[in-house]
Amino acid sequence: MTEGRTIGAALLRREDYRFVTGQGRYLDDVVVPGSLHAHFVRSPHAHARIRSIDVAAARQAEGVVAIVSGRELAEWTTPYRMAPPIEGLRAVGFPTLPIDKVRFIGDPVLCIVARDRYLAEDAAELVTIDYDVLEAVADFDSALAADAPLVDEALPDNLISHQSFTTGDPGRSFAEAEVVVEASFHQQRQTHAPIETRGCCAIWDQGRQHLTMHIGNQVPHPFRTQLAARMRLSESQVTVICPDIGGAFGQKIALYREELTVAALARALRRPVRWREDRAENLIAASHAREDVARTRTAVNGHGRILGLELEISEDFGAYCFYPANYLARVVAMILSGPYRIPNYAYDIKVALTNKCGNGPMRAPMAITSWVMEGTIEAIARRLSLDPVEVRRVNMLGAADLPYQMPTGLLLEDVTPREALERGLQAFDIVAFRARQAADRACGIYRGVGLCCVVESTTYGSAFYKAAGIPGSGHESGWVKIEPSGAVNASVGLMASGQGYETTFAQVVAEPLGVDPNEVRIHMGNTDTAPYGMGSRGARGGTAGGSVLLSAARALSDKVLTIAATLLGLNTSGELRLHASRVERRLGGAWTDAGLSLADVARVAYLDPLRLPPGMEPGLEAHRSYDPPPMTFSNAMHVCEVCVDVPTGKVTVERYLVVEDCGTVLNPLIVRGQQQGAIAMGISGALLEEIVYDENGQNRSGSFADYLLATAVEIPPIEVISQHTVNRKTLTGSKGMSEGGVMGATGAVPSAVNDALAPFGVVAERQPLSPMYIRSLLRGRADRGPGQN
Amino acid sequence: MSQFDPVPIVLDINGTQYRVFAEPRRLLSDVLRDDCGLTGTHVGCEHGVCGACTILLDGAPTRACLTYAVQAQHHEITTIEAFGGDGNLSPVQQALHEEHGLQCGFCTPGIVVTMEAWLAENPDPTDAEIRNALSGNLCRCTGYHNIVAAIAKAAARRREGSPT
Repeated sequence: MTEGRTIGAALLRREDYRFVTGQGRYLDDVVVPGSLHAHFVRSPHAHARIRSIDVAAARQAEGVVAIVSGRELAEWTTPYRMAPPIEGLRAVGFPTLPIDKVRFIGDPVLCIVARDRYLAEDAAELVTIDYDVLEAVADFDSALAADAPLVDEALPDNLISHQSFTTGDPGRSFAEAEVVVEASFHQQRQTHAPIETRGCCAIWDQGRQHLTMHIGNQVPHPFRTQLAARMRLSESQVTVICPDIGGAFGQKIALYREELTVAALARALRRPVRWREDRAENLIAASHAREDVARTRTAVNGHGRILGLELEISEDFGAYCFYPANYLARVVAMILSGPYRIPNYAYDIKVALTNKCGNGPMRAPMAITSWVMEGTIEAIARRLSLDPVEVRRVNMLGAADLPYQMPTGLLLEDVTPREALERGLQAFDIVAFRARQAADRACGIYRGVGLCCVVESTTYGSAFYKAAGIPGSGHESGWVKIEPSGAVNASVGLMASGQGYETTFAQVVAEPLGVDPNEVRIHMGNTDTAPYGMGSRGARGGTAGGSVLLSAARALSDKVLTIAATLLGLNTSGELRLHASRVERRLGGAWTDAGLSLADVARVAYLDPLRLPPGMEPGLEAHRSYDPPPMTFSNAMHVCEVCVDVPTGKVTVERYLVVEDCGTVLNPLIVRGQQQGAIAMGISGALLEEIVYDENGQNRSGSFADYLLATAVEIPPIEVISQHTVNRKTLTGSKGMSEGGVMGATGAVPSAVNDALAPFGVVAERQPLSPMYIRSLLRGRADRGPGQN
Repeated sequence: MSQFDPVPIVLDINGTQYRVFAEPRRLLSDVLRDDCGLTGTHVGCEHGVCGACTILLDGAPTRACLTYAVQAQHHEITTIEAFGGDGNLSPVQQALHEEHGLQCGFCTPGIVVTMEAWLAENPDPTDAEIRNALSGNLCRCTGYHNIVAAIAKAAARRREGSPT
């Protein structure tokens, strides 16, 4: 931290002490005396009409205070409505809890409130619900079949969203192509699986007519907006307070029906009500993600140059839309071309409702993107018998091509894909690997290397949402205050769930104010304190939050120095700066102490305002908003080495290396941790994770014994090489990161497996790359001998 | 309903005796958190996979979510609150902090408890042994890389600190 630079320092996290000692305060650690416990009775059927509900016995059970269904909740709350004006997207609506029909296994039907959770679950055993079971649609194709049962009977069919786009002249490029290459990619259904499940505690103050909602949520203000509206309250009647969050990954954004139910019950019963879902509920009924099939057709010349590309995505969105159904696949389609020059492009996206848990964004909602693009490049290389690295080089944008308008109109700038590619290959030493691979293959050991060049869309300014037809704002807000003692407080609308904001944002605020970051306290998650921002999602925290706090801290620094100049009898603050909590003055080229501390200035600003410059407001606070560029892009090159055990089909990741360029880094320690965590989530998804529904819509993934998360044994050490190409449009020079790792691993792992299995002439086009799937590819196949690389 | 009636339970936790009145079916994890106020033990899955609730029962790592409180009587229970609460972090806690071996922190208490006990038995582990020992604790944030580095560092510090 020489010369007052705190941005970019590898400071250890100030959050850590409370977490390593078990003194973090998560939702269940917030004690609310007299609170009741809610438990939900959920549908055992994928699709059924509710004929009757008998709760007479349950009401008599020990400790039961209330049992409510969708009927009561319809009187207390406003139904959900999602109707953004987006072409091809159908408007949807549904009640707070289902009244007539359940749409997936785990759909909540009743809420039982009791003195404690054990008693509420006991009472659930005494409930009888009579269902008329309906035929279920359990996958995309059956959802779109003629005469398919309707998941949402208010709609004419299950096609919830359909959008197409064409730019250039793909038809002509296919007519002119020397070859046309087709490839397909099946990404399985996954779920976020934060180690802390969902939960909340609602407190209704009848005297003040005020609702306080304790909940771990990534976006406290947008959440409050929704909660207030659905409760028929004004936003001034609702306070959302987020305690520490035990992981979120996109699952803790929406206002879920259970949470609204708990809030409504707290008001109806005039008692605090809390809810903690168990792991089975979290896996079955919280939110799912992904499950899409992407198909590409590429028009290519004999050198592997891409002339035109067509993309088809079909996504299985589940039964309920807590997000616009076009949102996730749309981003994939918009950024597919990544680091490549693709002049002619068309996409077609279909999203279907099915009788499964509703989908939402999971860390890297666009996770499939790089796999699709890089897998397409590799399919081209296989078809033309070219080196896949060469095919990348032939198509990849170079520095001279930037800024580059992607075929969908997004502006790609300040990225370094070629540098990252070459650096990654060199760091991995691909030449040495090929020699080792050949030698091992002769002994029946099948190694492969996988590459994945990632262009990660991050930060998402308002202009992007508008252009993409996705409702929402991309702005963020923050304030910084210097208190009369000189203590520094700051706040931002984001909420942390492990990203270390209390450390990195303190670093950002500290720099213009010339204070030790340890003296800056970041306050988040309380909507009465924090300003209205759009919260944590889309790898926007560092860039949107860092930029807005930098802007506020700079404004405050200017004010402090203006006051200091007046106090020192100077005409201008031009030769003053803040350093080590003191005001310094440049005299003869050297900075010397001006005899004033930051605390001295703060004292005057608050307690002796007549000494301020004429017309200046007392106090030291600055509130700023910031709307980032439409999109910032980070880029990365992932290199993954795997070994495939051919007899068992087991894939072992033996080495993982990434070259990543996310611009200015606020704290390299924390950024590397985010990159490693994202890569691990990608590897875990590529190898293990899968929510399995059978053909009747029965969910077979209700425990961690079924839904497998990678442990320390499956995840290899992850080497990170950093590049720092500054983004010239953000205030800090940073771009976002923390989702690209998922994208890269999702692409690099199958690429490596395909390289390992090349001698067998098979191509994996599905995830997870489970032993069963790998064996299904290899069954009846034999190594066709050397040269089949 | 007599089998559900609360019974007196005496628990020896971190060297202190706790007397609670709880139903025999109550999980040790719930009794630690709700009846004893020791909320550092976290509940992540309630079926023994995630490891967040790990405590020591007579020194051995044990899932508090798979143990009834009544079963834990007459045993010495050690929870995360026994480590570093006085400001002196244990070797594993200190190394997790230095190596950025935690993000959201929810799984961290289980990892501290598990690995402190394991290092006492395995003072000089390889990275592969650390990964194997850590495989009973799920972490969704870090990708384990920095946790493994932290455990190796804590092991080295423990060795330096020991008289032999």
